[in-house]
Amino acid sequence: MTPVLHYIALKTGRALFVVWAAFTVTFVLLFVLPANPVDLLFDPAELNAIPPEVKAQVADNYGFNEPVVLQYLDRLGHALTGDFGNSVQSGKPVVGAVLDVLPSTLALAAGALALAVLIAFGIALVATATRRAWLRNLVETLPSGAVSVPVFLSGVLMLQIFSFQLGWFPSFGDQGWRSLVLPLVTLAIPVAGPIAQLLVRSFAGEFHSGYVTTSWAKGATRGRIIVGDVLRNAALPALTIAGVTFGNLIAGAVITETVFARKGVGRMTQTAINTLDLPLVAGIVVLVAVSFAVINLAVDLIFPVLDPRLRATLTAGNPG
Amino acid sequence: MSDLRSSIENAESGRRRWPWIAGGAVLAVLLAAGITVALARGDSGAKAAGDGSPARGGTLQFALIDYQRSPDPQWGTNYAESLIGNNVTDKLTWQDPDTGEITPWLAESWEYNADLTEFTFHLRKDVTFSDGTRFDSAAVKANFDQYVHGDQKLGINPNGAVLLSGYVETRTPDDWTAVVRFAKPLASFLQASSFTANAQPGFLSLATLKLSAEQRTDATKVIGTGPFVYESWEEQVKTVLVKRKGYNWAPPALRHQGEAYLDRIVFNTIPEASVRTGSLASGTIDATLDVGTTDEEPLRAKGFKIIHRSVSGTAIYFNFNSRLFPTNDIAVRKAIQLGWNRESIEKTVLTDSYSIATSVLNKSVRGYVDYSGSVLKYDPEQAKKLLDDAGWKLGADGIRVKDGKRLEVKLLGISNLVVNKPAYESVQQDLRKIGIDLQLTVVPIPDYSAQVAKAKTDWNVTAANRSRNDPAALNLVYNPKLGNSSFLDANSTGVDVNEVTTALDSLETTLDPAERDAYAKTAQDLLVEKYALVNPIYNPSQVIAHADHVHGIVFDAQSRNHFVNAWKSNGK
Repeated sequence: MTPVLHYIALKTGRALFVVWAAFTVTFVLLFVLPANPVDLLFDPAELNAIPPEVKAQVADNYGFNEPVVLQYLDRLGHALTGDFGNSVQSGKPVVGAVLDVLPSTLALAAGALALAVLIAFGIALVATATRRAWLRNLVETLPSGAVSVPVFLSGVLMLQIFSFQLGWFPSFGDQGWRSLVLPLVTLAIPVAGPIAQLLVRSFAGEFHSGYVTTSWAKGATRGRIIVGDVLRNAALPALTIAGVTFGNLIAGAVITETVFARKGVGRMTQTAINTLDLPLVAGIVVLVAVSFAVINLAVDLIFPVLDPRLRATLTAGNPG
Repeated sequence: MSDLRSSIENAESGRRRWPWIAGGAVLAVLLAAGITVALARGDSGAKAAGDGSPARGGTLQFALIDYQRSPDPQWGTNYAESLIGNNVTDKLTWQDPDTGEITPWLAESWEYNADLTEFTFHLRKDVTFSDGTRFDSAAVKANFDQYVHGDQKLGINPNGAVLLSGYVETRTPDDWTAVVRFAKPLASFLQASSFTANAQPGFLSLATLKLSAEQRTDATKVIGTGPFVYESWEEQVKTVLVKRKGYNWAPPALRHQGEAYLDRIVFNTIPEASVRTGSLASGTIDATLDVGTTDEEPLRAKGFKIIHRSVSGTAIYFNFNSRLFPTNDIAVRKAIQLGWNRESIEKTVLTDSYSIATSVLNKSVRGYVDYSGSVLKYDPEQAKKLLDDAGWKLGADGIRVKDGKRLEVKLLGISNLVVNKPAYESVQQDLRKIGIDLQLTVVPIPDYSAQVAKAKTDWNVTAANRSRNDPAALNLVYNPKLGNSSFLDANSTGVDVNEVTTALDSLETTLDPAERDAYAKTAQDLLVEKYALVNPIYNPSQVIAHADHVHGIVFDAQSRNHFVNAWKSNGK
């Protein structure tokens, strides 16, 4: 096997392992939890009045009476064929339920990511390009500020001003692009933070490096150096935190979707866990795990293409 | 290297400074303008009301905290589900919210045998499902059979097994007569036939009953006889209902002729309280349920109407575990009843929409008896005396001790109603003053459900409420043969378990109003006064805020809403 193939196989194997482990851990966790998904189908005040045979019948409906190992194997087997069963609460097929809300979350996450990257580059560019110390200092405080503002707070504030008072954007639900603006901005702020922090630092680092000096010497303008030389090389480290960024997006999406009453994977995850909707939780976790794995795999595979040094070690037979 | 860079930089100084400054200035101006316009618009309130005669048409934008998890109205545990179910399906009977009397709806009349095991309903002959098929005794039978037994193949749960406990069968001697039979007396079935709360017996068409749980998630296939039909159901987001053409069988008690006034209702799910009230204030929605106690006054001040109804059934109660130390001591239970200040909860936690409990039953339930003059009052001196007499001595930390054990009372409660926790904390503070350490664990529903399984051995008090406008709710909650919330058994010291069981059993044995009132009184006397098995706290409420142009939203006997009578006077 060539080193490159070996590298790809190793990374893909790791990704598959992560997905399997996520499925298994989810299953175990939901079984270890003290609450019973069947109980959560009833009025909590009525729980102790429900005859055991009724509970047994309901549990039977979802296969919860089978031995745990059998349930696990059964669910795993079906999951391999893409069948995660039906949601305990709604009765919808899990795959359909997730696919129903996925586009809405993807639009939100992709839009927020694009906006976050724009904001982050904006901050880094201003911080690097300006020669006013006060402006640089101000701009450099923005990333940590962005990380510390709770999504909940910024969301409610933005609703208050731009929706309730000005009426520019709808306050809830899905009504085309106008419904997307406020959630996008809300979610983009905390996601932009870490990216901007990283960019500011690597911009500064690259600005001091030898090849920039060479460019200066050749008479390039400041703008040309930033766009032509620094930008490309400084962007590379940002790619490595793609996984972290994705995590931030998912975490932020739960709150953003709740505040703006949007449908989405984040909110669905929250309710699924609250109601111990095992099939639904398993389906969502596998989806998220696959996305994580694919993103990290993509980064791993793209990196050698972008970074000649890594490519060199790879061809030298030292995958890693 | 750095010298070189800085010298080149310096040589370039002075350029491209202004774009940043200009950009910042533009941003600041925009923000300032936004806030100014926002403040100027701040006074937009509700519009003036109409002349009082109902107008037809319009879409009601309604908001609530929960979303409907499945369009199947025979299942559900939240208000979104019961509210929507009520407007898509009808019931056999209608319970008058004021008197508690059971009045006709899909059934024109009914009779029952002396044992209360057989109920014969004579159905209206003009009722149809929205798919055009007729509503008849076969439909009643098919619905009740599936409602009670479920259907394993279709993935349908036995949703009505508790409400219709002991259901045997429905006989259909003719198309318009349905005879519902039970294995044992079930007086409360008459009220159950009108039930509009969780997992309600609303009638679905025969075609709908043949659908699996999965197929029922296509809302347009869920067919009822109600004043509205499903247009769409979007999980997490909204459910849209449209007026049923040709509807003409609203409960006669509502005095509503013909179709619903509104063309459409949109039930919007808005989880955040501030977004619900903000959307109402800005005119995006017409009405919202789940109004927080702190939002009532500001909304009223802006010209919105606040309507509410106390949730019929039991109050929010502290059910005492009669088997677990220290609540196995009746003196402790009685001291807790007397040991907290009702007035301070009324002043600091509740609004006018809520009330302090004066019995385990809500005032609106038939058979309610007022105990505010006897044991459900604040009397810390009497409480202390009870504890002193029972041998509870004050310890060094202010908490009483007996036989070396502290007077610690562990409470398990649900945090779903915002009022619960502050109310319980108020009780906790007062009890501390008389030497009782009430330890609160107030958690979301899943955690509560998990803990309830261990209530017998781990918890002195479980705090919840039961929404059912019938005194037989007490039977469900406390009867040792059913819910047994006080864990009564032969070992319960100082409690005559047979006496309690007999009293609760008898609630299901008569529908004679006077007799039933007497049984309800006996049951409350035992639970509240004699054995102090329950410490009722407050009566929860459903609170709606709506714009001035919204009229006719009905609260039924279960405090759920019906919109057949609702209309809008702003022409939208």
